[in-house]
Amino acid sequence: MMKKLSIHLNISAFLLFTVVLVFPTSCKKDLLDQKPTGELASENFWKTDADATIALMSAYAATRAVFDRDYYFDGHGDFTRTRGTSATSGSILRGDAYQGATYAPSGYGASFDKYFSYLYGAVNRCNYVIENITNKMLPSASGAKLAALESIIAEARLLRGMTYFRLISMWGDVPYIDKIIYSNSEVTSIERTNIKIVKDAILADFDYAVAKLPAKNPVLGRASKPAALAFRGKLNLFWGSWKKNGWPELEGFNQDQAEAQASFTASAADFKSVINDFGLTLYKNGDPGQIDSLGRAEILPNYFELFTPKANGNSEMIMVFTHSGTPTTPSQGEELMRDFSGRTVEGSQVWVLPYFELADRYQLITTGDFAPKMVPLNPTTNSAARTTVNSAVNPKSYANRDYRMKSTLMWDYEMCIGLTALKSTGFSPYIYKTWAANVTIGGIKYISYNTDGALHGYVFRKFVRNYEGLGRSEGDYAFPVMRLADVFLMYAEASNEVSGPLPDAIAGVNKVRARGALPPLAPSKYASKSAFFDAIEQERIVELVAEGHRGFDLRRWRAIERVWGPPGGVGVWKKDTWGADITRYYLNASDLVYQQAYIFRIPPNERDRNPKLTQNIPWR
Amino acid sequence: MIIFFNKNYLYIEQLLFEILFFYIFEKQVFNFGNKPKRLLKIKIMKIHHFLLGLIILFFPIQSLLSQNLTIKGKVTDINNEVLIGVTVNIKGTTLGTVTDENGLYSISGMSSSDILVFSYVGFLTQEVLIGTQTAINLILEADVQNLSEVVVVGYGTQKKVNLVGAVSQLSVDEKIVSRALPNVSSALSGLVPGLQAVQSSGMAGNNDASLLIRGLGTVNNASPLIVVDGMPDVDINRLNINDIETISVLKDATSASVYGSRAANGVILITTRSGKGAKKTTLNFTSNNSIIVPTKGIDFMEDYARALHVQQQRTAVNTLQGNQLFKLGTVDEWMAKSMIDPLKFPDTDIWDVILRQGLYSNYNLSASGGNEGTNFFVSLGGKDERGLQINNDYSQYNARFNFDGKIKNNMNTGFRFNGNWSKWRYALSEGFTDPDPGNTAGNDLQYAIAGLVPFDPKTGYYGGVMAYGEDPQAYNPYAPYTLSPSQNNRQEANIQAYYDWSPIKGLKARVDYALNYYNQFSWSAPIPAQAYNFQTETFGSRTYVGANAGISNSTSTGFKTLLNGSLNYNTKIGKNNDFSALFVYNEEYWYARSQGSGRNDRLHPSLTEINAALTDIQSTSGTSSTEGLQSYIGKVNYSAFNKYLFEVNFRVDGSSKFLDSSRFGFFPSMAFGWKFTEEKFIQKFTNKFLSNGKIRVSYGSLGNNSGVGRFEQQETLTNLNYVTGTSVQRGFANSKMINRLLTWETSTVFNVGMDLAFSGNRLVVTADYYDRLTTGMNRPSEFSTFLFYAYSPPPRTNIGNLRNRGVELDVSWKDMIGSLQYGFNLNAAINKTNLEKWNQLLLRGNIFIGMPYQFVYSYEDLGIAQSWADVYKATPQGAAPGDLLLKDLNGDGRITADDRKAYPNFQQERPTTTFAFNTFFAFKGFDFTVFLQGSAGRKDYWLNIFNNTNFNNARYAASWEHLYNPWSWDNRSGLWPRLGGSGNNRQSTGFWLDNMSYLRVKNIQIGYTLNSKLLTKMGISNFRIVGSAENIGTLTSFRGLDPEKQGDDNNVYPINKSYSIAVNLSF
Repeated sequence: MMKKLSIHLNISAFLLFTVVLVFPTSCKKDLLDQKPTGELASENFWKTDADATIALMSAYAATRAVFDRDYYFDGHGDFTRTRGTSATSGSILRGDAYQGATYAPSGYGASFDKYFSYLYGAVNRCNYVIENITNKMLPSASGAKLAALESIIAEARLLRGMTYFRLISMWGDVPYIDKIIYSNSEVTSIERTNIKIVKDAILADFDYAVAKLPAKNPVLGRASKPAALAFRGKLNLFWGSWKKNGWPELEGFNQDQAEAQASFTASAADFKSVINDFGLTLYKNGDPGQIDSLGRAEILPNYFELFTPKANGNSEMIMVFTHSGTPTTPSQGEELMRDFSGRTVEGSQVWVLPYFELADRYQLITTGDFAPKMVPLNPTTNSAARTTVNSAVNPKSYANRDYRMKSTLMWDYEMCIGLTALKSTGFSPYIYKTWAANVTIGGIKYISYNTDGALHGYVFRKFVRNYEGLGRSEGDYAFPVMRLADVFLMYAEASNEVSGPLPDAIAGVNKVRARGALPPLAPSKYASKSAFFDAIEQERIVELVAEGHRGFDLRRWRAIERVWGPPGGVGVWKKDTWGADITRYYLNASDLVYQQAYIFRIPPNERDRNPKLTQNIPWR
Repeated sequence: MIIFFNKNYLYIEQLLFEILFFYIFEKQVFNFGNKPKRLLKIKIMKIHHFLLGLIILFFPIQSLLSQNLTIKGKVTDINNEVLIGVTVNIKGTTLGTVTDENGLYSISGMSSSDILVFSYVGFLTQEVLIGTQTAINLILEADVQNLSEVVVVGYGTQKKVNLVGAVSQLSVDEKIVSRALPNVSSALSGLVPGLQAVQSSGMAGNNDASLLIRGLGTVNNASPLIVVDGMPDVDINRLNINDIETISVLKDATSASVYGSRAANGVILITTRSGKGAKKTTLNFTSNNSIIVPTKGIDFMEDYARALHVQQQRTAVNTLQGNQLFKLGTVDEWMAKSMIDPLKFPDTDIWDVILRQGLYSNYNLSASGGNEGTNFFVSLGGKDERGLQINNDYSQYNARFNFDGKIKNNMNTGFRFNGNWSKWRYALSEGFTDPDPGNTAGNDLQYAIAGLVPFDPKTGYYGGVMAYGEDPQAYNPYAPYTLSPSQNNRQEANIQAYYDWSPIKGLKARVDYALNYYNQFSWSAPIPAQAYNFQTETFGSRTYVGANAGISNSTSTGFKTLLNGSLNYNTKIGKNNDFSALFVYNEEYWYARSQGSGRNDRLHPSLTEINAALTDIQSTSGTSSTEGLQSYIGKVNYSAFNKYLFEVNFRVDGSSKFLDSSRFGFFPSMAFGWKFTEEKFIQKFTNKFLSNGKIRVSYGSLGNNSGVGRFEQQETLTNLNYVTGTSVQRGFANSKMINRLLTWETSTVFNVGMDLAFSGNRLVVTADYYDRLTTGMNRPSEFSTFLFYAYSPPPRTNIGNLRNRGVELDVSWKDMIGSLQYGFNLNAAINKTNLEKWNQLLLRGNIFIGMPYQFVYSYEDLGIAQSWADVYKATPQGAAPGDLLLKDLNGDGRITADDRKAYPNFQQERPTTTFAFNTFFAFKGFDFTVFLQGSAGRKDYWLNIFNNTNFNNARYAASWEHLYNPWSWDNRSGLWPRLGGSGNNRQSTGFWLDNMSYLRVKNIQIGYTLNSKLLTKMGISNFRIVGSAENIGTLTSFRGLDPEKQGDDNNVYPINKSYSIAVNLSF
């Protein structure tokens, strides 16, 4: 009996023990409800007015990612070679959108799947801002608050419009998404929207932005009304070009001269408003500034400074995407230095470089017209190469040129500031194929420019800072996607299409020329509509080089054959300053190669999943 | 099968209250007397009632009938030599004693119905019913194969003969610790059938093997769960192998399902040593000193003039001689002057400069001992690795203290402490290279030209490019490897304590608490250096480390806690029914945080802390994460007549990673075993040759949540900032689309196995067949391109099914001829994967339905075109003589991606078949072991940046093969396509596809054990000296570095070959 009792007691105690043992768990009721520690829970957002701006900033950041390395696109043209990119795969802040694509003059149309996807990434970010503010904030807002919110929506709609504009100019018809997507199934069988409908939707976004944006946004990096006007003008200019010149690679797109004229007219009106209504001027009023003698770079023209962070916030820049390098983490720096300069400048890589043929485009300030063509000569085999008149390796051949030449290019014996580890290493002379060598010039010892990427004899000076403090990936330049000089030229083009050379159009072009210290256009240059067009094109080549416009221009003008020769032809050799043939494009190229240059390929992976997504004609 | 619970159903408190309630108010149901037992019937209405039933079922207690007998006796072996330290236990209890130095024992308080169990390591365990005896003298038989071996299984141990799951156990003996093994994972290679341990690199500190049990179980994280002394998620590679007693590999559902949600890929249970069963304190010392050389390296050309010649050949394909970067004069000048001026015209053997002889040493001192009440094991160990690459060092120190003690007769407590400290230094994350696209020097080793001086001690300068025309960005790897190493210090402390109580016979309650803490500090403080040109005596080309080099520090700390409460009950019902039941409640919690900071402009090269740099440019970062897991575990074993074995297991896991609605997963399993040689009617036929035979069948499900991020299923916004003016503006974006339906990934495993012992247990054969189906594999979904970059990463979804089938065989033979002991073990495993379902689009590629995952999918080739005639005969593909010709498999007149061929029997990433053969001989103190290991079923391409035939027109570090192998008109039997040929030459074609099968002499050991009276007098009980060699030969047709290395076009860290002397000494 006693034994039995003791066992009973034991069991009771045991059970108590086990209960006590497991009890502490009730204190940990939240064991399975761990709150995210480093991330913002969605339920805590859209609570205050500031949240609208915070959301908008992410839309800016996402849109920046598809516009701020547009300079790579210049590789689709005939004056800038993009031999590669510094973009890092997987990093949106390091140009991932542009990564992996081809930026050669042909064979690029199939390589922009990732960029396509990134463009929609930006669209979705904008939709998130627009829809949430519209639904959650607008209904209860009034007065100044309402205006402020509408202005934020206007910014997001401008960004969305810009992104769709980029989409249609590359792919033609694209699916139009203007609401928040909540599940993959909403887009798995989406169809392409007719380009006209998309264009009208973009116009609607731009109209709203024109109506609601302030005339001047005091904050650098945020949009204002002239930007909306200029983009509306540019959209109409492109639309007019397509309608005028046709786009046979885009199925169902019809040439229509009347519609083209209407668009050009609307375009010219918007540009005119940008030019006249907001008091905008070219950088430093279009003053060319001072220029140093050949082989010296202590004083550089204003055009050079325009493409350095010193010019951030000036009124010429109508729409920019801002950057900040060190000490921002994660860095939002640009990599213009890394892409445009060589190892001498912070170990940079010359991913983007001028073709030899660009030099001839810089006119003489004495005549306002072209200089005799450069003669490429090899100084290792021809001892007179450095002194021969018009020799590409004779520095004297570069005298008296458009100031923009020295601001844009470096030829043999041009100097730039070397930078290492954020410190200046002093001037370094650029001498093609004489890399990092001891050179004595004028009794002073230098180490020559060092690079592994200058393939055609020149490197760029444009976009390369000449002062210390920021690394090759930490630039803080506000990259322009719309600037006044471009608006002058686009106005000239649009108005020329409608009514031929107009005095204010010619004056605009001359203002752009004047910043290069060039005399005004000779009357023969605007004697006819086509002569004026050529003058505008010449000005676009020089003024906008390496900003990513040329490829888009060639396509909308349907000028690829004009530049590279007809299908089945010998193509064009691109040389270097020594006369060597470096690379040839469009050799024996079929019609298909040209067609595929005019329109991009709809990503086939998406088409595999979604058969309703049609393909552009040359990619079928 | 998988069942989801609403969490409301599972409150353990409620459950236990109900037990208590039952006991207090309805105890009349229980009958604790001598009368026949009554089972309690409980309606199973809800799952917790079922659980309740499980526990209550085993409450009825058999009574003890003590007659207070005293039994004495002597234990000897067959040679009549006394056995000291034999454990004599009363069956079913922990009570007992051990024999003294005369082999005598005495045990009192016995009843006539008690059974004494005599057990001794290396001998067959015997059981004797006391009955009327008062003296029991016993002769123990040596157990050649040790079938009485106890195997560690989840939450307990089991006798090997009674196992019904597929478990392989490995005892860490002196043969293993004598090897020069850098870590525990690489020690497992070839030792367990079905466990692949693949070592991909010999890099010190980064040479662990990746472990895979029974093939790739899932396309997700397929690594097994590591459990050390009951604590899951311990880093296997930070253990001291000398501290380990056994390693159990749980391969099937029955053995692993008690680890539920994390067991889908098998479990590796590690048990550390204790002083249990020791009669006296033993001191043990081991040491190992090895020299390490590479198994194979890269034959860079240490002849710059010839390398430039190769460059000329390469560029001659498309560049006129006048336009080539390298002029003939440059080459000639280099060739002549390099003979007299090695500083200005160096011919550097780069590979030789950045490689050195490796060393490995390991010292370990341990003590163990105990008595009836307490026992302990304490050890200190240190190992030091000097990697093959310069400046790659790893050292680690381990300390362990294991203690078990009795509080009262029926109460025990104990704790385990393990601390480890490590220091690691390395140049790049893979040693010589770095796969991170953000590291621009990550694949620069291909630019390590012979024409530069690595370092000139006279000037203290690091050399750079000098030849005219050479790319200024050529690479001097000696500079970064020397100047900017990364450093990593890590400390871990694992502390565990338990308390158990057996209130009545057979019932044990136990609480475990464990804390696993880590702290890691990484830093880097590179020293500035610029490449120097010794010809022009200027700096100028590449900057290796800028003058503004700073300091970066990062700290990560965290801990994991574990709380276990368990009830364990064993009983015997009648004569022939053994029951045991286990119930465990388990909580685990993880916390991790990290902080990092960096500043530019270090004040002085000798200073490495953050404060020692200027503050102008600096950066910081920091974050944290947490996770919780709550589990209920149950296990019932029943054996009848010692022939029929049943086991039922389950585990319910709730994880904070999942949303409320799909938080809990239920993973049950059951198994049946039949020891058919115990059947009289079978015994009649088999007892002549078969000493033991068992068939095992098991079936059950396992889970996997490892792929899901801690906060991945929570709705959060992503930080995406912008700048306006010069100031950063905060931005938040909605980047997450949550799949509310996401649930556990489940593997269902069917296993049938057989354990056979022949010829008096000399030959033991274990064979297993398994069929594992993983369903609902949990992967980021394939997102539409319209959402991909807005919602990134895409939500996880349960995507597809993967089946693994395979067989495993393990054959061991051990015997003695006179005094020659010998034996062998052969183990092999074949695994076939088959992707059965994939609910998203699969395009042409090496993943497809009905095929092994990542099968080989390759172009076929027609060999190298020898003439234009060959080119014209083939499908047009832009080839010229000397180029590889691809086959137009589908005959459409074009070479496209559609022309690839699938090889259903070969996988690209891992072998299908693994095998190992281990044999040993021992004779009069000498022992000799040979261990062979290999694998088959993998094919991969030998394509990397070091055998590139289409290299750039400058700065390429060519190898001698680039001189001799490429096809040319003068070398038409060349082994490689021509230099600078068609892009197809670098395609993944059959030409470069090698069979990665290999057979490797993994280890050879020759040992000698000194066994002299003199040593005994000195108090030394054992002294063994061993010569051991690792990876000394490999038979393979693979042309690249090593067939075990994973496919990588960049990583060249060799696999180690080592020769060592090891000593074991015991006092």
